[in-house]
Amino acid sequence: MEALERALKWAEENLKADYIELRYEDLRKTTLGLKDGVFTSFTGKLNRGIAIRVLANGAWGFSSTSDLTNLETKIEEAYKLANAAAATKKEKIYLAEIRPVEDFVKSRMKVKPREVDIEEKVAHLRELEKFLKEDEAVKSVQIRYEDGSGKKAVLTNEGTRVEWDYNYLYQGTYVTGKADGKLAMARDSIGAVDYGWELMTDREPNEKVTERVLRKMHSQLEGVAPKRGEFPIVAGPIVVGIIAHEALGHLAEADLTINSPFKDLIGKQIAPEYVTMSERYVEGGFGNDKYDDEGVPVRDIHIIENGILKEIMLNREYAHKWGMEPNGHARAESYRYPPIIRMRNTVFEPGDHSFEELIEDIKFGYYVVDFRGGQAQLNSAFQVGVQEGYVIRNGEIAEPIRDTSITGVAIEALKKISAVGKDFGLEVGFCGKGQTAFVSSGGPHMKFDGGILIG
Amino acid sequence: MENLVRYAEKLFDEVEIAVYRSREVSASVELNEISMASTRSGAVTVIRGIKDKRLGLAVVDSDEEHRVKEAIERAAKMAKLNSPDEKWISLPEPGKYRERPKPNYELKEVSPDGLVEMLVRGIKLAREKDENLIVAGGEGGVDWEESRILNSHGVDVSQEGGAAFFFLEFVGRKEGVVTPGIFDFDARRDLNLDVDGVVERAAQKVKWAYNVIPSKNEEVPVILGPWAIAGLLSYALFPAFSGERLIKGTTPLADKVDERIASEVLTIYDDPFHPLAIEPVIADGEGVPTRKNVLIENGTFKGFVWDNYWARVHGTESTGNGKRDTRSGGVKIGFHSMVIEKGSRALEDIIGEIKRGYLVDGFQGAHSSNPDNGNFAVTANPAFLIEDGEVKGASVFLIAGNVYELLKGASEVTREQTVMPFMTTMITPFIKFENVRIAGK
Repeated sequence: MEALERALKWAEENLKADYIELRYEDLRKTTLGLKDGVFTSFTGKLNRGIAIRVLANGAWGFSSTSDLTNLETKIEEAYKLANAAAATKKEKIYLAEIRPVEDFVKSRMKVKPREVDIEEKVAHLRELEKFLKEDEAVKSVQIRYEDGSGKKAVLTNEGTRVEWDYNYLYQGTYVTGKADGKLAMARDSIGAVDYGWELMTDREPNEKVTERVLRKMHSQLEGVAPKRGEFPIVAGPIVVGIIAHEALGHLAEADLTINSPFKDLIGKQIAPEYVTMSERYVEGGFGNDKYDDEGVPVRDIHIIENGILKEIMLNREYAHKWGMEPNGHARAESYRYPPIIRMRNTVFEPGDHSFEELIEDIKFGYYVVDFRGGQAQLNSAFQVGVQEGYVIRNGEIAEPIRDTSITGVAIEALKKISAVGKDFGLEVGFCGKGQTAFVSSGGPHMKFDGGILIG
Repeated sequence: MENLVRYAEKLFDEVEIAVYRSREVSASVELNEISMASTRSGAVTVIRGIKDKRLGLAVVDSDEEHRVKEAIERAAKMAKLNSPDEKWISLPEPGKYRERPKPNYELKEVSPDGLVEMLVRGIKLAREKDENLIVAGGEGGVDWEESRILNSHGVDVSQEGGAAFFFLEFVGRKEGVVTPGIFDFDARRDLNLDVDGVVERAAQKVKWAYNVIPSKNEEVPVILGPWAIAGLLSYALFPAFSGERLIKGTTPLADKVDERIASEVLTIYDDPFHPLAIEPVIADGEGVPTRKNVLIENGTFKGFVWDNYWARVHGTESTGNGKRDTRSGGVKIGFHSMVIEKGSRALEDIIGEIKRGYLVDGFQGAHSSNPDNGNFAVTANPAFLIEDGEVKGASVFLIAGNVYELLKGASEVTREQTVMPFMTTMITPFIKFENVRIAGK
């Protein structure tokens, strides 16, 4: 850290930069990949490096390196890059003002992954594989586990000094099943930044994960092809979450809002008044943090509040552009990337209907529980593969459906939400926007009277 | 590095050290302006060691001797804790490599100024063509990589090279219509990136997208563009060519070698030395010589691809398809440059003959395809309606089906071939498929 302070001081004295930001990372990670009885990756990783971001003459220069010598030269390189970009710029970049913070962010984990013997991690994965393979239909199991522990820090010439005791863990399970000549895939993911190894032992033990994965796989193996078309749909928390994230959340990332239909809808009613969607701290959320990677405190926001499009996610640059307060959404995957505007935990807020009330009036429709892969466009058109879904017939859950997807235009579908459940569920995952970020999404069960196509 | 191999040999029965040094320079665009210029440099060293059939891997962001030694020790610790893999046979033996392609050294020292200039020109051209168009994003960049792979059996292969890429994303806003994000791109082994072509093609698509036409349920000819093909085939088809899936029984192609699985207009091969390939590697991620592997020849399936591990388990030889994952350190079966052979007629001529059909630029949701059976359900967006031989406007619709059924319906491939630097680099023409059932809205 001393070397960073020294280099920063040198840069302040010698370069005419508006803003200088140094992000340092020193992480030890463990990656275990178990594929049908064999560990194909059994890896220890040592990731250490520095990201330098300089704003000069209204443009950004960024430089990232794993070579920690001659930091002054590297800051100067980023400064020169900023000037190269600035030469063509008509509209200069400014940053919204913040009050610089000095803080040390402690981990909330009970048992940090680095305190758990690797033997225990291996035994845990082997046990999960064993449980899954006890089902005769399971033909192939792949489990990917990763954890990381170490130090992260951000220092700026404005006086921000935030240091983290940074920890995370994640487990992804992928199963291929075969029955009666049919093949099906199912996936499941768990992960946390606030729960440690207790996630694996207490909250999401292997029995619970096994039960969930096998249910998804069997629903496809035994499923029938759905009718194509527009039907009443009840979406479970995980599917509601992916719509919140993919189809709506991205539109509320300020860098994308500008080109999306949300641009002209801020302050307007876009959904029924019983619909609220937030970007906020959630217990167990994979996107939880106290500060973002610009050192800005993370604040809860309501993207949609009682049906009205209210707030968007901002970093300091876009907060200035929009004349708003930054809310802590600048995130970088690692020292190899500059921070960009990202979601954290994107959720619909619960309402007051029971699950039975949501389905009781549906003569024929579908209940979509879980997805496999989702994608959306800036016009909020989305496409989500369904890995667990059922027919709703005469107000009751009937046979499962297989290999299908749902599609729609979210800002249209929002208007068709006719009831919001009182329950709440969350799924963790990764979001790719050129960089990978840990995110969660979720919400209650919700009923759509149209607006979503299945098939 | 040899001394590090010697050092590691004391801890392992067999060991492999792979070093990657890279430099990436890029400039990016946001909202009609250059937003950032960046460089990224550094080294990654991967250790793969085996002791008593136990695998240990370590990855370190460095090529400094003391850090690599630390990684070797960590890999040894991991191997000690791993359980034995009874299927393990050995790391690859040295092979005969073809002559190294001559690297284009202008890419090694490229400055961001040229890239900034290229992007500024692209933005200007685009805005001149269509004032309702926003250059929402884009990037121009050059990646340079030097690698060396050594193992304790005597494999020692060094490679270096680079590639340049350029892409722009446009969004059109006109009379209440906001088009989806529309992309076009170029990637090559020199700096002669086709800025004009990228702008021309993307602006044309935006123009079509202003006229939104509802789609309906029908059975029509559909032309898939390179981006749509790369998306769909990367997820629904290519994994099925993996030898690992043959062994595990998770490919529908298990008993289909030398059988027709696609229309005879389709020939697909993996060829790192194709003139348009952007990464002409002579060795794969574990030092095995690469070669051209034909997968589908005139519609007939020719066989699987292998890395060293699965090839040895199966009793065959690696086809040079071991791809290094520098995140996990492991090697997986993958492809270098998937090529779909081109045809003789131009896209324009093929469109000209279509009474009613669609041209699909991109698919959403291709990654939810099921490679175990080839089933897919995707949204065609952006997609363009063709009527009486002309593109009339843009539509969104769903295609759900099976990739093998789709491939049987291919009727023609265009003479234009495009490089898609997608997950796997792909070099592909446009492909016309007959009688595709679409679900409209």
